[in-house]
Amino acid sequence: MILALQILLNGIFLGAIYANIAVGFSLAWGVMDVINVAHGTMIVIGSFVTFFLFKFVGLDPFLSIPFSMFILFLIGYSTQKFLLNFVVKVGVFLSLILTFGLDLVLINVILLIFTGDYRSVTPSYSGTNFQLGTLNIPYIRLATLGICILLTAALQLYLTKTRTGNAIRATSQNRQAAEIVGVNVARVYSITLAISAALAGACGSLISMVQSFTPFEGGFFIMKAFIICVLGGLGNVLGAIIGGLILGIVETMGARLLGTGFQEAISAIIMILVLIFMPKGIVGSKYK
Amino acid sequence: MFIDHWQLTIEKWLLFLFEGADIEVKKNRLIIGIIIGLGFMALPLFIEGYWIRVASSIFMYAIITGALNIIAGFAGYAAFGNIVFFGIGAYTTAMLMLRVGFPWWSGVMVGGVLAAIFAVLVGLPILRLRGHYFAIATLGINRAVEQIALDWGRFTGGGKGITLPLPQMEIQNFYAMIYFIMFGLLLLTILANFLIARGRLGYALRAIRDNEDAAEASGIFAPTCKVIAWTISAFLTGLTGGVFAYWFSFIEPATAFDIMIAVKAFVMMMLGGAGTVFGPILGAFLLELISETVWGQFLTLHMLILGIIVVGVVIFIPRGILELFRKKISLASLIRNVRNQSI
Repeated sequence: MILALQILLNGIFLGAIYANIAVGFSLAWGVMDVINVAHGTMIVIGSFVTFFLFKFVGLDPFLSIPFSMFILFLIGYSTQKFLLNFVVKVGVFLSLILTFGLDLVLINVILLIFTGDYRSVTPSYSGTNFQLGTLNIPYIRLATLGICILLTAALQLYLTKTRTGNAIRATSQNRQAAEIVGVNVARVYSITLAISAALAGACGSLISMVQSFTPFEGGFFIMKAFIICVLGGLGNVLGAIIGGLILGIVETMGARLLGTGFQEAISAIIMILVLIFMPKGIVGSKYK
Repeated sequence: MFIDHWQLTIEKWLLFLFEGADIEVKKNRLIIGIIIGLGFMALPLFIEGYWIRVASSIFMYAIITGALNIIAGFAGYAAFGNIVFFGIGAYTTAMLMLRVGFPWWSGVMVGGVLAAIFAVLVGLPILRLRGHYFAIATLGINRAVEQIALDWGRFTGGGKGITLPLPQMEIQNFYAMIYFIMFGLLLLTILANFLIARGRLGYALRAIRDNEDAAEASGIFAPTCKVIAWTISAFLTGLTGGVFAYWFSFIEPATAFDIMIAVKAFVMMMLGGAGTVFGPILGAFLLELISETVWGQFLTLHMLILGIIVVGVVIFIPRGILELFRKKISLASLIRNVRNQSI
């Protein structure tokens, strides 16, 4: 029983990170119909920003989150403004390939700066935990969960309460209609990708404390984001959270019950089955 | 509804797809084509060793790109995971040669057929998905099959890869043979693309690409057409995978299911012109040649330059080089391209 609870708890901690990976990705996809394949590498950039600040400035990893969010906000904004806005109207094909190209460029720029070595961020409190009854709760995982909740809540508030947030949701529902009522679509798109990238940056900072990373880690994150978006339903903050939590818990349980082999094959197959039989996902529907 | 259509015999289907195909070609184009073809046939007399292998790998990419063009160029279905058929072909050939003792050519044939069957089985459900969803589903399938090849170590050799029996002939002759096989497969790919472009299937696929609902409303049975297109594409890719396995005599999941090959094929297709017969082939030749000659000097920057080329191609010549040749090339036309697409 205690073991089951512990596994569930670990699953929730993992799921929080997964949800955080997927929220930004799902935002760009839902609003602009752009699959940002470079999102995974943007997460990696966030990790490297934290690594750089921790190693050379000695900044606490949690305090570096605003910096990586800011840097990725700029990267996301300029990506959309100077690259993606030129092709986003044409459709699926071009934006997908463009972000693939961008992904290659970003990976290799990181590679040139930081080389391909495994890096990790280990503050003094990494690996420490406290006991709650008989449950082990690592400090970092708990803080990560808290920050994930905070960020998604802030995003939800931003989308529903502010003027720009409303414009983003309007554009997601119908671009032409939004244009008619005076929304500057090009600018809204730029801001959307900027926010999406900033969330990736925060996520990268958090992940850097949990696992070691190389410049090539992006593909793994993208695959997870795909699965989560498909599971939870697209273009929906709630969908990303539920999808992330489900994937986290299922993976932790699966690793316990079946061992880690075949795990990725199983989650890929689950994704395809959900795509075929439940294409709208568990939550479904766009930002409303 | 589906069953009715599948009750037609294969013969009738072929007749249905290609009857009335306008296969006339302008005389001077035909002559140029034959001269180029003969030139490639004679090429092994003049080059050897390294360059023969480079030429074979260019052909290989051209076949993969041409095969991808059938589903992605004509039908507009972004089959990013198309490389899964390459892997299936390669692993089938390897398994049959090693565990059953087939000669290489029958292994390759069985690999192609298995890839085609897999395309039918998988295509029936997932070709209903549109846009991004289809692209992701193919990526997922590629991932799943790669993981199975990785984890099923006792049979497939797992992550350590698998070594095929070495060919029993002089190495120079072997490379020349691979060259001619790849060239033959390339001709087959071009023929398939040509027949599809000129025949009924091609018209149906292009209609599906432009507007699937309208195409169905005007009497095109879209699911069957898409599955047939993907099957042809899978068959060609599977054959190539088999030949690749025999050629390199070593395969591992990471190279046989390498998503980068599919992405490169996509870029080649866009570079030459998606949905044309010779565009993708031309794109493959250009990009592979550039990559072999120029970027060999900059090993570390190789991928960076590829990324920049991808971004440039998508933004400036989204319809490919062939389109540029048809119209006049000018800076103004490039800028017009950009302006027409942007929001």
